[in-house]
Amino acid sequence: MRWLLYLWLAGQGGSPEALQHLQAGLQARQQHQVDTEIAEFRKATELDPKLADAFVNLGQAYMEKHEYGAAIAPLKRALELSPDLPVAHQLLGYALLSQGYAAEALPHLEKVGAREAMGIAQIELGQYSEAVGNFSAALSQRPGDPDLLYYLGHSSGLLSKSAIDTLMATHPESARAHQAMAQNYYALRQMPQAETEFKEAIRLRPELPGLHLELGQVYANSAQWPKAEEEFRTEVKLQPGNAESAYRLGNALLQQGKSQEALVALKRSNELKPDMPETLYSLGKAASVAGEPGLAEKSWLRVVELEKETALAAQSHFGLAALYRKQGKTAKAQQEMQEFQRLQNTIGPPRSE
Amino acid sequence: MARRFSRRNFLNQAALAAGAPIFQVKPLRGIDFLLQNSPTPRKFLIETMPGGIALFDYNNDGLLDIFMVNGGHITEALRVPENFERSNPRYWNRLYRQNRDGSFTDVTQAAGLGNAGNGNYGMGVAVGDYDNDGFPDLFVTNYGRNTLYHNNGDGTFTDVTAKAGVAGGGWSVSAGFFDFDNDGHLDLFVTRYMEWDPDHNKICGGDWHTYCPPGAFPATTCLLYRNRGDGTFEDVSERSGITAKKHRALGAAFADYDGDGFTDIFVSNDGMQQFLFHNNGNGTFTEVGLDAGVAFTADGKGLSGMGAVFQDYDNDGRPDIIVTVLPREIYSLYHNDGGGVFTYQSLEAGLGTITSLSSGWGVGLEDLDNDGWKDLLVAQGHVLDNVQQIDASLSYKEAPLLALNHQGKFERADSGVTTPFAARGLAFGDLNNDGWMDAVLSTLGGPPVLLLNRGGGNHWLSIQLRGTRSNRDGFGAMVRVNGQTRFATAAGSYLCANDKRLHFGLGTASKATVEVAWPSGVKQTLNDVAADQFLEVREPEHS
Repeated sequence: MRWLLYLWLAGQGGSPEALQHLQAGLQARQQHQVDTEIAEFRKATELDPKLADAFVNLGQAYMEKHEYGAAIAPLKRALELSPDLPVAHQLLGYALLSQGYAAEALPHLEKVGAREAMGIAQIELGQYSEAVGNFSAALSQRPGDPDLLYYLGHSSGLLSKSAIDTLMATHPESARAHQAMAQNYYALRQMPQAETEFKEAIRLRPELPGLHLELGQVYANSAQWPKAEEEFRTEVKLQPGNAESAYRLGNALLQQGKSQEALVALKRSNELKPDMPETLYSLGKAASVAGEPGLAEKSWLRVVELEKETALAAQSHFGLAALYRKQGKTAKAQQEMQEFQRLQNTIGPPRSE
Repeated sequence: MARRFSRRNFLNQAALAAGAPIFQVKPLRGIDFLLQNSPTPRKFLIETMPGGIALFDYNNDGLLDIFMVNGGHITEALRVPENFERSNPRYWNRLYRQNRDGSFTDVTQAAGLGNAGNGNYGMGVAVGDYDNDGFPDLFVTNYGRNTLYHNNGDGTFTDVTAKAGVAGGGWSVSAGFFDFDNDGHLDLFVTRYMEWDPDHNKICGGDWHTYCPPGAFPATTCLLYRNRGDGTFEDVSERSGITAKKHRALGAAFADYDGDGFTDIFVSNDGMQQFLFHNNGNGTFTEVGLDAGVAFTADGKGLSGMGAVFQDYDNDGRPDIIVTVLPREIYSLYHNDGGGVFTYQSLEAGLGTITSLSSGWGVGLEDLDNDGWKDLLVAQGHVLDNVQQIDASLSYKEAPLLALNHQGKFERADSGVTTPFAARGLAFGDLNNDGWMDAVLSTLGGPPVLLLNRGGGNHWLSIQLRGTRSNRDGFGAMVRVNGQTRFATAAGSYLCANDKRLHFGLGTASKATVEVAWPSGVKQTLNDVAADQFLEVREPEHS
């Protein structure tokens, strides 16, 4: 390897003394002697102020030492000497970004397509849409990367907030603005305010899909089940093909002990979007209460097929145990109860909401 | 059988016809009791848990008297060994004798019930005639040592705890007398909450600074004492199987759920599964909650079990269970299907719509409108005094829940209580002997609240059992009246002891058939019993 290094250095065209220090710096890097690196590269730049590689390496050495501020000047000098050096753009972009100079960093990062860093710079610059695009692209290269997932979520949230802020500023009395405010209140568990805002949104645009569903959830959260039922019913009329509306309606009916009606709604939801574990679990409950043990059993067995080690699976085993116990199928009941207890021990007991 | 006395309903029937609330909130004349729970910034968990009430006729004059359990004095500096200043009259438990005019007189000192012991922070009370002498005795539970007061029959009580051997220790909560071995002597069951003392107190909730949930402290065991019949009790907690499982027990209720002639125990546990102790009839119990279907909700979720009642709500002759819990759960109703199996039926019974944002404590199933169906009344109020700051949809103080029973379905009704309370205990009894069930609430830091039933036009029957071969109170007997069933007990609710007389609403029926299945095994039937009377039913001494 060493002869290759000499060959490369020979091609740099700098003063021999400067090249010697450049070489010494590279050797120090191999031995992880950062301070020696810096001293050698600095000497090389002093002996030959036009030796771009010496400046790049000096900048890189500072970055290895986490002295990002100190890295900026030599990297800039390197690019003055050799404007197309990709590594200098990349390092300078990182150095500037780390020091908070996002706007200045971004063009350098764009030159080399450093998408993650570009996204971070764009967040700083309020360019959320572009940031989301860059994080999504980076994630396709590194699926599951926790940093990228975090940044994608973060930038998406900021993009969402920015859009809502614009909506509130430009159309403060629109139905969508009231809907957005309502959602905010809902998240803060301020249900009376959420109710008021959703109602206003509905008054302005009664045909808007989703509003009744959300208002229904406000009522459900406050245990106002008859009102929740009314809203979910309206949503079901507006969106007869929406499985969630039917599911929510089924649950509201179930809470009121209207098991037969709940059964109809939950069956519909399951037809619209089959194999949703939550729907199947509730369908099992409704069927059990409504005196359709066969359907209850089928629904809960499907849940435990779909979900193995989850709270919903545990609850389904519990439901099956009760069902079999009532049917006098003691052995099967015990088997399901054992499975319920096993899951309780592994995933913890199901908790009330 | 002997009639004691009979009265005509004298209350304003026009008020009920006009849809007036069931209750009037009335001051208890002559009662100046304030429940001293002594909340501190250190959030000692005991502060939010008292206080017990007993409605019982201690002097057998035919009028219900009231015993109130006090908490004690707590400062931020509280440490082991604790001093709750119970010798200070401000922190005494109190006994109030009812006078003929409906007022009350404080007879605490004369009765010898003053100082409850400085190391004891008061919780609950149980009432039962443990020595069958015809005078009801008192058992007071504490954080500390429990106390058994023998009723001397002359208006005084004697602390017989040491002789009886029932002091226990730790943190006792609810208690009840029942005869688990059917030997004619009342035994005693005591729930204990957790392993806790001020030196091991914790504060939870981060910046919210709240009382900790029960799971923050180790679970403990309950206590079962067998009455030897000579004034002493034997601690059979371990031998009976009661300690086989650790509890975080608050409430206890008794009934024979499987009709085998032996009284079983339901224990409401906080933040875990509920326990049903099946009485094996040989001095032992087996915990069968999971197999019986009363351990969890229908979703397999644990409960914040507080108070409990074990009575038949749907008139099918089998005792059902209702457990009061915290918000975001639903008061749990377990329907007794027979064959030792229960089904969770809170939603079908209508509790899903009326209880999911409430915190329930004392609870009872009593026929409050005398229509022949037992109604539900619950003392409510959240554990956390700052809960509203944490969740605006919840309240520290709540009005009690009144839900009328319409053929097995509960619907919220106007109780007439407009003021919210941090209520805990709830005891039932016919305080003015008008044939309509009244109730008394205990409130943290406040006075007791009397809910006086306005009455109405329906008929009723009140039965006092007089055991001869069975225990004198007849606890454990199953009494059927015109298709309704009650299991004789003064226990249940939370921390409280109810009027031991068995109340039945008869609707429009002016006659009743009364069937009693005594714990001794004796069965007795009385036909053509006139309505609207207080009836004493004496157990035949010979079959």
